[in-house]
Amino acid sequence: MDSKHSSPATISDHQPSTIERLVAFLDERVGLKEMQAKMLNEPLPGGSRWAYVFGSILLFIFAMQALTGTLLMFYYVPTADHAWASTQYIIHDVDYGWFLLGYHFWGSSAMVVCVIAHMSQVFLWGAYKKPRELLWIVGLALFGVVITFGFTGYLLPWDQRAFWATTVGVEILDKTPVIGDFIARFLKGGPTPGQMTLSRFFVLHVMVLPAALMALAGLHLFLFRVAAPAGPFTGTVEELKAKTDYFFPRQIWKDMVGMAFVFVSICALALWEPVVLLDEAAPDPGDYHPEPEWYFLFYFQLLRLKLFAGEFGQFMGAVALPVAFMVLLVALPFIDKDPERNIFKRPIALISWIAIMVFILLFTVASVINREFLD
Amino acid sequence: MLQPKLKSKVQCTDLNIGEVTKVVLDPLSHEISHIVVSVNGSGERQVAMGHVQVVTDDLVQLRAPSTEILALPPFKREDYVTTHEVEISHLEDHIHVTPGEVLVPLPDLEKSVKRRTFFMNFTTVIGFLIGLPIAYPILRFLMKPMYADFDNEWLKVGNVSKIKQVDVGVQFKYKKKVKEAYMPEAEVDKNVWVLQATPELLGKVYQGKDAEFRDARGKTIWTNKKDVPYLAFSGKCPHLGCAFKWRQHKALGQVFLCPCHLSIYDAAGKVLDGPAPRALDALPVRVSAGGEVEVIDMEFKAGTKSQIRII
Amino acid sequence: MAEDREAMSPTKIGFSILWAACWTGIPIKAVFAVLAMTMGLVHFEGRFGLAFLIVFASPMTVFAVPIIIAMFETQFGEGIGLPIIFGMSIPVDIWALGLVGRTFFLERLRKEPPHDGLGFAIWWRAALIGTFFFPLLWCIVSRVTEIAIAASHSMAEMESMRQLFDTGLPIAERIGLELTIWGSISSAVLIVLAVIGISILGQSIRRMAEIARPVSANYQGLITRWDLMRVPTDQGLMLTSLTGVGVVFSLMFWSMLPVTTPHPHECCKRPDVRVEPVFKPVESLSSSAQRIATLAAQIGAMEQQKVATIDQKEKGKGKAEGETAKDSSAKTKP
Repeated sequence: MDSKHSSPATISDHQPSTIERLVAFLDERVGLKEMQAKMLNEPLPGGSRWAYVFGSILLFIFAMQALTGTLLMFYYVPTADHAWASTQYIIHDVDYGWFLLGYHFWGSSAMVVCVIAHMSQVFLWGAYKKPRELLWIVGLALFGVVITFGFTGYLLPWDQRAFWATTVGVEILDKTPVIGDFIARFLKGGPTPGQMTLSRFFVLHVMVLPAALMALAGLHLFLFRVAAPAGPFTGTVEELKAKTDYFFPRQIWKDMVGMAFVFVSICALALWEPVVLLDEAAPDPGDYHPEPEWYFLFYFQLLRLKLFAGEFGQFMGAVALPVAFMVLLVALPFIDKDPERNIFKRPIALISWIAIMVFILLFTVASVINREFLD
Repeated sequence: MLQPKLKSKVQCTDLNIGEVTKVVLDPLSHEISHIVVSVNGSGERQVAMGHVQVVTDDLVQLRAPSTEILALPPFKREDYVTTHEVEISHLEDHIHVTPGEVLVPLPDLEKSVKRRTFFMNFTTVIGFLIGLPIAYPILRFLMKPMYADFDNEWLKVGNVSKIKQVDVGVQFKYKKKVKEAYMPEAEVDKNVWVLQATPELLGKVYQGKDAEFRDARGKTIWTNKKDVPYLAFSGKCPHLGCAFKWRQHKALGQVFLCPCHLSIYDAAGKVLDGPAPRALDALPVRVSAGGEVEVIDMEFKAGTKSQIRII
Repeated sequence: MAEDREAMSPTKIGFSILWAACWTGIPIKAVFAVLAMTMGLVHFEGRFGLAFLIVFASPMTVFAVPIIIAMFETQFGEGIGLPIIFGMSIPVDIWALGLVGRTFFLERLRKEPPHDGLGFAIWWRAALIGTFFFPLLWCIVSRVTEIAIAASHSMAEMESMRQLFDTGLPIAERIGLELTIWGSISSAVLIVLAVIGISILGQSIRRMAEIARPVSANYQGLITRWDLMRVPTDQGLMLTSLTGVGVVFSLMFWSMLPVTTPHPHECCKRPDVRVEPVFKPVESLSSSAQRIATLAAQIGAMEQQKVATIDQKEKGKGKAEGETAKDSSAKTKP
């Protein structure tokens, strides 16, 4: 019986402690031991791996963002007249406010990095193939939610950087044919950005997106359990069997170490570069050159190419290209039907992944270099 | 409860008629109600448990002859669903009809209990050590505005020329500038009761001792000298904070009267009647040569016997 | 994929061990780094990423870094924090290399790990190789990058002359082209040299393995053995000590963490406690007169400039908060 195995052996003549009696009380009514065993004793073929930690790390980062975000809401006000002042109040006056804000800011960057890492791991391990197509698609939806989190949160401090980066970003969305104008006006809450924009972005960032993320993450976890972990892509049956262990405790422990490392890294980043706001948002950008968050920089630079100049060019670059890429990703499990999961035997997949990563890196660095030439 | 095992042979009083292929449960009582016997050659029969005499691991003994059993109506599978298709709580606790067990091997690495407990505890330790560093900053973060320092500025409230009689309460209204966090500076209307006091009244109020006022750290910031003939009382009633008035009372004469719960104080601030827990709160007061009255605005916790300053 | 153990390439050996050991050590090193940063002992400014990589690869870089700082006058971060972090990383690396080394010997090489001090044995070899090789790599890659950047500049110039654009290749395209050229050259050289360095380490470890005894247990036995190696004999002691150290570090963190931001904005700088300067009437009169004179001169100059105006936009605000954070160095005086 699983229940006997999941707890350490108890000596038979030992009086049950209060805790043990409480556990027995719950177990009788809820089936606690069996439920615990079913949830935790998931066998991982080939054993627990450090490569698998990114999913749990993402959940951890989300929990930390929710915590720090809630704390920030104790002092932040989403009105155009007080957003900047209240954010400055947090940074300069509230005890350790600068640190918690820094944690929230760098945590969002960490989330994007881990999402890319997680997607890359799934892609390279071929864990999007049958029967995990739905998992992959829900995952892409989660990716979209994470990016939208970053985009909506960026506006909230209401300084020049926030305001103008959002303005440019929404203008890009406006280029979508047919529904572009509607979407842009919906997000802006009007023809131009202002208080309505801030309110809408705040609601999205604080209520709508967290609810969506929790729902999708729940679905993602459920689908993952139903499909079972894919496991490593190489290894003889003997090797896989020898290394098999359960999700608990070994994978959970690895997940926890990963979480601890990410936590420490975000603290380090918050200490290295605390959040410093620019001047308060103003209708005139003045000397400021709008720029999105670092994880959008590659795309920002791409749109600077003359290839995407002019109305048709803008449409191609701002709408057609990203949409086509996302459609390709969604369709990936249906296009790639080869059951081979070993990345070294999937040259197209490997080269595509390397190419995309190099492309993103290249254009991000190019964007940074380009700052020198903005006059 | 009898637990006839699936696949066990079924024996009537006279001969062996077949084997148990299915077991039917009563969903309310969670007890086995029937067994379904596959009769050699002629389909299945549903047999009530009442017919069962003895159950062993591989044999079910019925107390009826085979003819009676064979005369039972044939089993209708379409009238039933499996226990996987319907949610019946705690079913496995009561029903043990599977002969033998279905097993999955325990991975070799999981066989060590020490390993299991070590990583379980290690995980808990790391989890604790992630939460610990941020606990204190979060607490301080949330508590920042709760115990704010006192603002001990002197505020001009009016001129003593407004006071026409001694030992009579005169309300001085003034505006206090308040800056809360990042909000723009706002003005609040406040009032204070000032009296020009006779030596007798001063004696009743000070009882021979100067009144000291301290800041948040306990350092004395001002002393109301007992011979200065001016008194200032905070405009908030110490009972629950209402603004009170100076009135003529039928029996008690000229008094401070709080309209909310009818606390009554004399000119010295002492409680004459009503639910007030302490006397009126005196404020630091000074009068310039030109008669300008200044006070330090303070507020005290309402409803307590001892005076606890909050603003 | 059956391992051909006898012919495992030295690069593979070196990389497998280094990669695993560096990742094993980095969570612990990161904790020390955060403590050092909280205490204000180290300021990374712009080179945070590079500093991370160097601390990550500390088995090979620990002694190489002071050499590089001395030889090439580069800075990774001011303050004594970085030497402290490197100092702390030595025992961490020895432990990590020991753990990873033993695992590797058992599972991949099917050899009995030498009884004691495998960690130290691998560590001193890595440090020695790194001390000679890493500054060499640094020097070569720096030079190659400089040359490649210059070459790509001139190539882009040529390119733009051949284009039909009147003004030459547009900025974004030009940056992309140049970056691709010198980036790929530089990366290629870096990767090749890194592989060589790792391979040297791998050869050294392979020589160690050659004199080790082969191990007889079956595969499952080996796996279980290295897996259980990670369970300490006295769990309670280990976990209690870990908790204790964690609590101490948390207390240190709480007392050291600055209550308000170390990088205040212009709007809200805390007024420094200033000693009132002694008032000297004659001096102040003459200094005021001087100030008036200079102001008058400035106004004259500004008016001249206005007349000859070409719009020169300041590059100030837009980059002040950027990744390079050059301005913030002015605010973080220790």
